[in-house]
Amino acid sequence: MRTAAVIAFLVAALVVSAAAGILVGAVAIGPGDVLAALFGSNDVNGTIIRELRLPRVLGAALVGGSLATAGALLQGLLRNPLADPFVTGTSAGATLAAVAAIVMGLAAPFVPLASFAGALVTVTLVWRLARVGGGTTVLTVLLAGVVLTSFAGAVVTFLLVSSDRLALQLRAVLGWLQGGVSVISWAELGVAAAIVAAGLGFALVLAHRVDAYAFGEDTAATLGVDPDRTTTAVLGATALLSGAAVALAGLVGFVGLVVPHALRFVIGATHRRLVPASFLAGAAALVLADLGARTIIAPAELPVGAITGLIGAPFFLALLVRSRRIVL
Amino acid sequence: MRSRFVTFLAVLLLTLAACGGAVPGPSSPAVTASPFPATLIDFQNRSVTVPVRPERVVSIGPSITAFLFALGAGPRVVGVDDFSDEPAEAATREHVGGIKVNFEKVVALKPDLVLSVKFSDGTIEKLQSASLNVLVVDPQTVSDVAKTATLLGKAVGADGEAMGRSIQQRVDAVKAKAATATTRPRVYHEIDASDPAKIFTVGPGSYINDLIEIAGGTNVAARAPSAYPQLSAEEILRSDPEIIVLAADAYASKPADVVSRQGWSIIAAVKNNRIFTIDPNLINRPGPRVGEAAETYAKLVHPELFR
Repeated sequence: MRTAAVIAFLVAALVVSAAAGILVGAVAIGPGDVLAALFGSNDVNGTIIRELRLPRVLGAALVGGSLATAGALLQGLLRNPLADPFVTGTSAGATLAAVAAIVMGLAAPFVPLASFAGALVTVTLVWRLARVGGGTTVLTVLLAGVVLTSFAGAVVTFLLVSSDRLALQLRAVLGWLQGGVSVISWAELGVAAAIVAAGLGFALVLAHRVDAYAFGEDTAATLGVDPDRTTTAVLGATALLSGAAVALAGLVGFVGLVVPHALRFVIGATHRRLVPASFLAGAAALVLADLGARTIIAPAELPVGAITGLIGAPFFLALLVRSRRIVL
Repeated sequence: MRSRFVTFLAVLLLTLAACGGAVPGPSSPAVTASPFPATLIDFQNRSVTVPVRPERVVSIGPSITAFLFALGAGPRVVGVDDFSDEPAEAATREHVGGIKVNFEKVVALKPDLVLSVKFSDGTIEKLQSASLNVLVVDPQTVSDVAKTATLLGKAVGADGEAMGRSIQQRVDAVKAKAATATTRPRVYHEIDASDPAKIFTVGPGSYINDLIEIAGGTNVAARAPSAYPQLSAEEILRSDPEIIVLAADAYASKPADVVSRQGWSIIAAVKNNRIFTIDPNLINRPGPRVGEAAETYAKLVHPELFR
């Protein structure tokens, strides 16, 4: 009952934030005109709303939802409250692969595929590194993430500096590295939505197995959960979700960390509830963060990654202090 | 990001000046008996005395270089900035740096006159403290161009006034002809769209804004708060430009890119296929080719008048 209420609340929150995101923009358009535009008026307002604002809001929702879901999965799999695609270096790996794809001149539809591959390689590496010497500890995961993020950052810098920077439109790439959902086309959105749908579907199916993981791998095995297959599937789902998010918006930090964590206080740690709730809450949170990015210093825009970092980093520090007391 | 933007602006400002090639006015300017010493007021309102006819000139600013060659003083130019590529001969001179001036190189060239655009980082003062005679020349608008020709003519001992008059006449002719048009089409001039959410265009006080007005167009960003404002795609769609002008440049957007931008198909210029490219050196540098620049722009805005 309580879960149903929370889910209903989150759906409402997502609808309200999306409405706010569509109502506010660089050009002032009244609520009545926005409504008319959504339902197909053919004037310039219609184009602004349907071709510019709507895809941006939907893109932000997809990115936030994916990152939060991936965070919930990673926290369950690693049994570590401080894991998410950003701090584990998964997003950085996805970024590296995407930048490499752009530098090699691959066509746009390959960029999300490349970032998925990058995410998969990195998250698998983190998993392996975290298990060196038996159980995973908070610090090994974080250190593995730091190392992989620095390494990916170094390679990205190398690629950018050594390639034809003007042809690459360096400013666009740099903006992307800071995390932003500024301009998203329906084509990009379609590809990303398909990948996110696959990842989210996996996550929902796998959620009960992740719950079994909470008691440790041996217990999970006695509960009939094959640890290796589950691990592979969860890592795959995480990579799909983080890869799609990075392809759409670059490096957006901390959403995957804060959202599932906050939700645990409300609906408990059961992943069957946590996964769908994280998707909805993450989507609403990033739509609001993007709204903030557009309006706080208007007419200029902040990268949305700056907003999530401002809110997420202190939250992360607080968690780190707490978890050191508990785990170490 | 911020520093990259500053660098971008610096490049823009340095390239905002200049030219070469076909120049109106005397093709071999008569070197009149301009009296030296000449005391001149430069673009920073400094009084600068040029004691004798300068024989070794260093030019920092592509438009200055173009003027010097157009005035027939090319043989006396011993050093230029890295961006001075017009006329082609200018690029063969010793290079003294671009955004950052290489002071040692300037001093080693033993110039008796240094002509430079404005710098906000103390470059001018540093050149002066090396006992160099520095005249600041920094044309920013179309009306600065004739004044620049006159000033540079006096500085190097050439008939700059005649050149300035001839340039002004050519610009005025374009302006007068464009004024007879019955429409003033809305023009959107794109500088840099590498951040597609915030696209750099030209606003009031910029050289290209002047060219758009002379050519008989209305700049869609004419009321923007700065000379190089950023517009969002929403604002550009709302302004519905009838003509879109891009730089014919390797890294700039191509007309096909603009057509395929999401939502842009609603813009009049896109519907009517009126997206043009223009040589960036011609229209970014307030130099002796300003007449040609105005004519080229007018052909895009009023093809029915200018053929």
